[in-house]
Amino acid sequence: MTTVADKRPDLRDAAAKAGRSDRARSEARLGWLLAGPAFVVMLAVTLYPILQAFYDSLFHFRLTAPDDKGWAGLSNYAVVLSDPLFWQALGVTVFITVVTVVVELLLGFALALVMHRAITQLRGLLRTAILVPYGIITVVSAFAWFYAFDINSGYINHWFSWVPGISTDLNWFAQQGTSLFVIIMSEIWKTTPFISLLLLAGLSQVPTELEEAAEVDGATWWQRLTRVVLPNMKAAIMVAVLFRALDAFRIFDNVFIMTNGANGTEVLSLLAYRTSIGRLEIGLGSAISVLLFLCVIGICWVAVKLFKVDLAGGARGAS
Amino acid sequence: MRRRTRALALVLGAAVAAPLAACAGSGDGTPVLTWYINPDDGGQATIAQECTESAEGKYAIETSVLPRDASAQREQLARRLAAKDSSIDIMSLDPPFIPEMAEPGFLAPVPDDVAERVTQNVVAGALAGATWDDELVTVPFWANTQLLWYRKSVAQAAGLDPAAAAVTWDQIMTAAKDQDKYLAVQGTKAESLTVWINALIASAGGTIIENPEAPADEVELGLESPAGEAAATIIGTIGKENLGGPGLPTEDEGASLSIFQGDKGSFMVNWPFVWSATKAGVEDGTFDQALLDDIGWALYPQVTEDQETAPPYGGINLGIGAYSKYVDLAYEAAECIVTPEHQAQYFATNGNPPSNTEAFDDPAVVEAFPMADVIRESLELAVPRPQTPYYNEVSTGLQQTWHPPSAVTPEVTPTKSSDLITAVLRGEQLL
Amino acid sequence: MKQLSGRAKVAWALITIFVLAYALFPIVSIFATSFKLPSQLNLGLFWPKTWSTVNYEEILAPDGSAQTLFLSSLRNSIGICLIATGIAVVLATLAAYAIARLDFPGKRLVLLTALGVSIFPVISIVTPLFNLWRNIGLYDTWLGLIIPYLSLTLPISIWTLAAFFRQIPWELEQAAQVDGATTWQAFRKAIVPLAAPGVFTTALIAFFIAWNDFVYGISLTSTDRARPVPAALAFFTGASQFEEPTGSISAAAIIVTIPVVILVLLFQRQIVSGLTQGAVKG
Repeated sequence: MTTVADKRPDLRDAAAKAGRSDRARSEARLGWLLAGPAFVVMLAVTLYPILQAFYDSLFHFRLTAPDDKGWAGLSNYAVVLSDPLFWQALGVTVFITVVTVVVELLLGFALALVMHRAITQLRGLLRTAILVPYGIITVVSAFAWFYAFDINSGYINHWFSWVPGISTDLNWFAQQGTSLFVIIMSEIWKTTPFISLLLLAGLSQVPTELEEAAEVDGATWWQRLTRVVLPNMKAAIMVAVLFRALDAFRIFDNVFIMTNGANGTEVLSLLAYRTSIGRLEIGLGSAISVLLFLCVIGICWVAVKLFKVDLAGGARGAS
Repeated sequence: MRRRTRALALVLGAAVAAPLAACAGSGDGTPVLTWYINPDDGGQATIAQECTESAEGKYAIETSVLPRDASAQREQLARRLAAKDSSIDIMSLDPPFIPEMAEPGFLAPVPDDVAERVTQNVVAGALAGATWDDELVTVPFWANTQLLWYRKSVAQAAGLDPAAAAVTWDQIMTAAKDQDKYLAVQGTKAESLTVWINALIASAGGTIIENPEAPADEVELGLESPAGEAAATIIGTIGKENLGGPGLPTEDEGASLSIFQGDKGSFMVNWPFVWSATKAGVEDGTFDQALLDDIGWALYPQVTEDQETAPPYGGINLGIGAYSKYVDLAYEAAECIVTPEHQAQYFATNGNPPSNTEAFDDPAVVEAFPMADVIRESLELAVPRPQTPYYNEVSTGLQQTWHPPSAVTPEVTPTKSSDLITAVLRGEQLL
Repeated sequence: MKQLSGRAKVAWALITIFVLAYALFPIVSIFATSFKLPSQLNLGLFWPKTWSTVNYEEILAPDGSAQTLFLSSLRNSIGICLIATGIAVVLATLAAYAIARLDFPGKRLVLLTALGVSIFPVISIVTPLFNLWRNIGLYDTWLGLIIPYLSLTLPISIWTLAAFFRQIPWELEQAAQVDGATTWQAFRKAIVPLAAPGVFTTALIAFFIAWNDFVYGISLTSTDRARPVPAALAFFTGASQFEEPTGSISAAAIIVTIPVVILVLLFQRQIVSGLTQGAVKG
């Protein structure tokens, strides 16, 4: 670090002087020297495996029958893409993604408002409470919700037996709709704090003068929210939505614990896991992995091109 | 790459072997064998300790627990063996998964003399389960089978005496329906569903796979048959008429037991652990002695009146990892583990029945399991699940298509599952 | 601060109760389950009928059925996550310093890579890693998890730290140097105290993320040697193979949740600012 401080050029010295290019060069060298290791590690743990996955997906390869390995071309992709199971898993994944993101956006915004406006005495308590789900292991959350709803060990059926459609005989994990409901509940509970923190960051960016001015002008609370606050937070909201959507798209833990894909709750990640790790069909599993990756790229592309989400700018809040 | 590293390690190892002979051992030079066990009530760990003691320093056995779910156990072991892991010495293997391990040579061949000793007095089902391609590939350890457990009060009210005369599925379904009780069966989407399907098809005189030793794309399934339809009729009826209760689609062995113990309990097909578990419940005060007294047992129900039942066969055999550093010692240890004394002790303490008929005569066994005779008889009748290297695909394919039970119909389900499994085995479809 | 009206007080009280219920309910639920007797699990009650610590004995007592499984996984999780967090924070500190203070071509590329890595579908890299690890002997080892955990911890560390470092008034360093301190002294006295909280917060957030991992945990391990807690939870067993491990899972879940709650209680302010920092000031 000593050397870092030594060589550090004065950034504010904007006026170009003799030796500027030298300095720029040494600065660039130092920059890459410092950022390089992290950059290389990041590429090594993601770029390399995904290329490997693409390569593997071109073979028929089953781990327990290593001698039968053979070139498959794109036929693994043909198998995956022509299988209704894949499309169903994609559909369920998209459904979960859309529902969780919409609900979390609303709930997260409410929680962000609460944290933002909270009186000082309550602020710490509220923030702590909201952070708890953020820190909890997803698997723990999945078990908590599963046991609460489970027909044998659960109590939800007893509590809500007055609700039409719920009785002690309701087996939440026997149908698609109810299973997905609990899975989505757990997912929402665990990840709303994240989205609400991103929105909190956005909220505190809204200039207070603007809001005060609107209040003076006699705008109602709702008008202030929709005309002043929300437009000023648009970037933060977009980034929060994109990040959560991509995260929700990877959903695995909750489904694995609660239904393991039964009753039409299969999601893409689980399908990939079961194929490559469970069945040890490396070729087919890699094909699903690559397709999942392409889906994520697709979502990003749509967000950036169509909705003009400024990833690099807004993502500072996300991380 | 791997080979070179190994060779290097070997050379290095040889160079330092003399002063560091203990590097693989526990410090005092004893080779440590790792035994991958399926979860139990501590019985396998006890046996491991006893064998370690009786080996007097020749070897020591350490246990490492596998996941609870049978297919997850297979997943873990297959993954490690595919990685040529040398730390796998002894494995507790569920029989259906043995061919998949044996086929690519993941199991060390059983020496002839060992094979001869460990197959004496072993029940037929266990022997079949330990064999692949006409060769003994694993050491039979314990053998499990499902019985029909019934509430005497319910059976009596229905005019049935399963202990005296064999009952059929139709009879117990009618009894449950008439008395508004639940049948406790395993309808969850897991291996236990395959166990049920297989037992039903076998009891109806059919088989799931006609040619289990064929390569993947030539496997012929026997699902589209009268036996397959009979099985689908029973499962579908129990599902549609709500005879299993609302919990059926998620009901595993443990959940079945709670239903059977509850107010709506009537008949249950399940493994013998239910007896020790219920006894423990009585001892800690959760249940009355009256519940225990009301429980009867008999052979697994028949599908038709004139055809003998084919109960499920389960259990555990010991496989020795092909990449183990101590194959000979591992076989020696396996022989110690499976002695009739250990099997009897394991049954009495953990509720898992022996594969060796001698062990059934042990007084401790008779004391802990009054139904030991029925279990032995059931084991002689038991039919294993299909033995094929593609068992995982077959079983998962069945679970995909025969679940939930209420959607099973004799017209559609057997054909659907047959088509799916065939397509998957040909690599034309996902699972 | 304005005096609160009576109605506002009630409103805040209600809001607080709602938020607390929302955040804590599932935890209280599993807490209650963890004290139920195995034979009393299915009574449909929220609180245990008789409070029992038998589930905790299963996972902690020397003769408990899940003791080895749980304690070894706890050791693995703590070890692996700490190391992965440590490496990530060191690498990220260097990178973030460069990003915040230096101008070099490709700076944006580094940031975008971090972003790309953080949205990467984990399952997509698990298969090739599994295949590679088993070939080079990293399967089921600590290192075999630490490396992929970097893909989780490194990107977020870089972004968070870069945001932190942008706010540090680096002029202080020069001021200190002017006052006669050596470069090292200036850095240590002026900059380290300012940067340390950011580094610490980053480490905390990164640790949470690694601690939460499940996919790598179940895919790249298969024994006590390296299996982390979330994976072990899914493998718990009851008294016999066929009995539900509900109680032991709940007890283990509570034990691994306690440290999280304590950390959140102690450092809520830092975590909130760490997670929102960049967007506010960046």
